[in-house]
Amino acid sequence: MLNMPVDVIATFNVQGKIKPNYIRLEDENHVLHTYKIENIVFSREEKYAGVPVILFCCNIMRGDVVQTIHIKYHVRSHQWVIAER
Amino acid sequence: MENLIFHIDVNSAFLSWEAVYRLRIRGEKTDLRSIPSAVAGDVKKRHGIILARSAPAKEYGVRTGDTINDALKLCPNLVLVDPHYDLYESCSQAFMEILREFSPCVEQYSVDEAFCDMTGAVEPYGSPVAAATLMKDKIHNELGFTVNVGISTNKLLAKMASDFKKPNLVHTLFPHEIEKMWKLPVGDLFFVGPAMKRKLHALGIHTIGELAATDLDVLKSHFKKHGELIYAFANGIDVSTVSDGAPPNKCYGNSTTTPYDVDDGSTAKMVLLSLAEKVCTRLREDSVMVSVVAVSIVDIYFRHSSHQLQLISPTNITNEIYKAACRLFDELWDGFPIRQLGIHTSRIVRGETGKQINLFDMNRYEKLAKLDKTVDMIRERYGEDSIKRAVFLDGPVYHMSGGISPEKRKAKYADGVKSL
Repeated sequence: MLNMPVDVIATFNVQGKIKPNYIRLEDENHVLHTYKIENIVFSREEKYAGVPVILFCCNIMRGDVVQTIHIKYHVRSHQWVIAER
Repeated sequence: MENLIFHIDVNSAFLSWEAVYRLRIRGEKTDLRSIPSAVAGDVKKRHGIILARSAPAKEYGVRTGDTINDALKLCPNLVLVDPHYDLYESCSQAFMEILREFSPCVEQYSVDEAFCDMTGAVEPYGSPVAAATLMKDKIHNELGFTVNVGISTNKLLAKMASDFKKPNLVHTLFPHEIEKMWKLPVGDLFFVGPAMKRKLHALGIHTIGELAATDLDVLKSHFKKHGELIYAFANGIDVSTVSDGAPPNKCYGNSTTTPYDVDDGSTAKMVLLSLAEKVCTRLREDSVMVSVVAVSIVDIYFRHSSHQLQLISPTNITNEIYKAACRLFDELWDGFPIRQLGIHTSRIVRGETGKQINLFDMNRYEKLAKLDKTVDMIRERYGEDSIKRAVFLDGPVYHMSGGISPEKRKAKYADGVKSL
């Protein structure tokens, strides 16, 4: 699986800190589901291949299961991408 | 204080950068660096040569500059990837940024190598090797690709040192260690190309050490001034300094290999016009004018020919350069189908100098210069393709040939993340 672009709702505070709140993922039947991001485990800035991204490791609730996902914010293109763990 | 120079060289740059991008940004699983792979041009457009290859591909004998067909004969399972110049620029910039954290004096020598003047800057790290190791590890950890660092007291020795064993290593080559370099074949010396190597072999000089021990007068009599240079290099002498600003261009030129053989003069002239557009845009961007124009042709039998003329007065007007190029082309072309065309300009005149008006010339240069300036402004603001000459409409020739064409800048992935 490749990293795939995803829809995200995020808040940007006055210090410029970014916090993803909701993420919309597609299931096997191409139905979109919106998940609330429960908490952010950690975040860090990366610059592999000279491409600046901010990585967020966060937990979402899928049914009654907590799932940890990695999403990346591409600083230059303003895209959100979900990475396989 | 003795000088301390680092030379930092990215290990198979284009390939490593593509590999990191695929792993980290696109999320692919295979590391191109661990399989026989290469960055290569487009065979269909006849840009089919290997631009960079991985270490496993090197073991099969694939070399940079080989044609794709030759490379595939050597290594049938070679994985080929397209060039991706936007990515190379981004990687190169990030690489230089890290180097500038270590030293205020960084000379970018090419897209993937640089010299750092570290004189007096290594004290905080303990030793030059410690500083270099930290530098290479920081680049590896943050940007994901590996580099070699060569350490010495001048640029030449540092460059030779970074070329020793690869990848991801630090080497020193201080003057007292020069024997390390003397064991190497003479072709490995900086500024000794294949032709020079052959001539030196004919003189019985096979290693750098033998060259260093040769009588300078012998070298001078065979190679003139270049003999002095390589003699000094072989002895580890190089007086050039690390300069952070890029030296001004001495000439501007662009050439292009056409996707098909050009066998009529009018199409060839269209290609020349598109090259003139490119060259002149670059000239005007740097606000310089040129007084010598040359045209080069490579025909389908790979025979090179070129022809040049001196203009009455310096210029950077597209129409004027194009006219000169057409004249040269008519004088030069023998009618054989053409594979590659180029326009090269030299004898640079910098800054705003008045134009010498020719009594018999009916061109209105001021108007043409204004037109060029306007076109440049439109292209800068709305993109290169926002305005073009009508002759290029629906034609087979792209309106600004030469240099890195737009399709080589972006990689063509079928799915996943596409942007940088």
